[in-house]
Amino acid sequence: MRPPAVSVSGVGVTYRSYVERVPTVRRMVARRRLRRSTKVVALDDVSFDVDRGETFGLVGDNGAGKSTLLRVIARTMRPDRGTVTVRGETSTLLQLGAGFNPELSGRRNVYLSGLAHGLRRAEITRLFDDIVDYAELAEAIDRPLKSYSSGMLSRLAFSVSMHLLPDILLLDEVLAVGDVGFRQKSLAAMRDLLARGGTVIVASHSLQMMVEMCDRVLWLERGKVRELGPAEPVVDAYGRAPPVAAG
Amino acid sequence: MPTTADGIESTSVATVTAGEAPSLSGWRIYVRNLWRWREFGWFLAMGNLKARNASTSLGLFWWVLNPLIMAAVYFLVFGVIFEGRRGDADFLAWLLSGVFVFNFTATTMTSGANSILANRRLLVNIRFPRLVLPISAVIETGVGFILSIPVYYVIAWPVNGVLPGRSILWLPLAIGLHTVFNLGLAAFTARLAVPFRDINNLIPHINRLWLYLSPIIWPLSLIEGRGGWLEQLASINPMFGLLSFYRMALMGRELDVSAFVTALVWVLVIGAGGIISFVRHEGNMVRHL
Repeated sequence: MRPPAVSVSGVGVTYRSYVERVPTVRRMVARRRLRRSTKVVALDDVSFDVDRGETFGLVGDNGAGKSTLLRVIARTMRPDRGTVTVRGETSTLLQLGAGFNPELSGRRNVYLSGLAHGLRRAEITRLFDDIVDYAELAEAIDRPLKSYSSGMLSRLAFSVSMHLLPDILLLDEVLAVGDVGFRQKSLAAMRDLLARGGTVIVASHSLQMMVEMCDRVLWLERGKVRELGPAEPVVDAYGRAPPVAAG
Repeated sequence: MPTTADGIESTSVATVTAGEAPSLSGWRIYVRNLWRWREFGWFLAMGNLKARNASTSLGLFWWVLNPLIMAAVYFLVFGVIFEGRRGDADFLAWLLSGVFVFNFTATTMTSGANSILANRRLLVNIRFPRLVLPISAVIETGVGFILSIPVYYVIAWPVNGVLPGRSILWLPLAIGLHTVFNLGLAAFTARLAVPFRDINNLIPHINRLWLYLSPIIWPLSLIEGRGGWLEQLASINPMFGLLSFYRMALMGRELDVSAFVTALVWVLVIGAGGIISFVRHEGNMVRHL
């Protein structure tokens, strides 16, 4: 048995009050005693493993901790408690156009994103034509990014991410955009990744897609694991549950 | 290097645990990672250098024009109206070198404080050594500063007859020490600006006060022998030593050795302190964005 691609054990993240409300002098004077109670627990004792070749889904209401969990796995954020072990290179599509600068051209943004992922400029030059062809953006690539439609943006972001050949792909609500043709293409690319022994972790509110794509699903509720198991029963249970106000 | 999925066995296992601080081996790995991301820092700096004034007609020239106009205003106010020259024949060269050198520090503090906040999308999504961002801010402002040095001679030569002499060989060392000092400042303001956005409002005032307290718009003779807190403040201000070193290189002035030693200590303290403080906190930056 090979070790899991991602091991999350006892992870907890607490945002302090000033993430929600900046500590102005007035509030600091008036609310000093209340400050301790204004902590927000984003993740609370979350543990699970994700195997290679697996597509793992995250469902939950807004504010349930899905994005925080993806950030912790992407290791852009250190947890307050617990340990995350990741075996392999991760590539993240957490927000639309990860790390893209709207003022710069598509071309410069491809370089910027690739360099931010730790690639050499020469490597990006080698991949460049494939990235642009795959994203179907040959004509628009020298235009500033602010002129792109959201579909074009997500195509470019997805193309860059896939050409980085990650072992673990982290997706946050990105496949909902883009036309049907590109969606088929991106699903095929993900199947290739899985066939190579890669791993996909995806967070989405599109429950139908989660059932189709995922092997297992984790249901987060107010930062805690509510249910973890095969996709269909967990998604069904989540779909039936009444919405919980975000903590 | 991206690893293909076939090469998965050879990829490193990365563990992130709560509350870990970089150990000695951690620092070695950090420096190696900085080196790996060097092209990113350079590309980001060059992009910003162009983008900052991309929509103006004068574009890149503003990097030199801004301190030049600033120097012209100070010359008018303090050189002409207040007659601050006080018999200093090289006042214009003194003023220009002071403003250009100080402007490097002032702009670095501003763009350093912004370097994390302006790139929040990159930080949230992609893992890289965060110190690349303040380094990139220093590269950006440093290139602007180096571009202004020829301009200094173009003005100081006809007016004050100041030409580069043998002492200019010290200039690379001066720029090197100044850059380390600025990098420490940029890292420190960047790290502070993430939880405390108020820093961005404070920096212009700190810069202005610092400029007035440094020998830039007034000659050293103004405070010499005055004693009291003015001279005490002067003796700890790192700008005295830095400027003295620069003016040895650029104007052939005599070096104030004790001020220079003080500045060297500041370069080490601010450089190392800023970087260490930044790196120790970079794991927590994303939660404030």
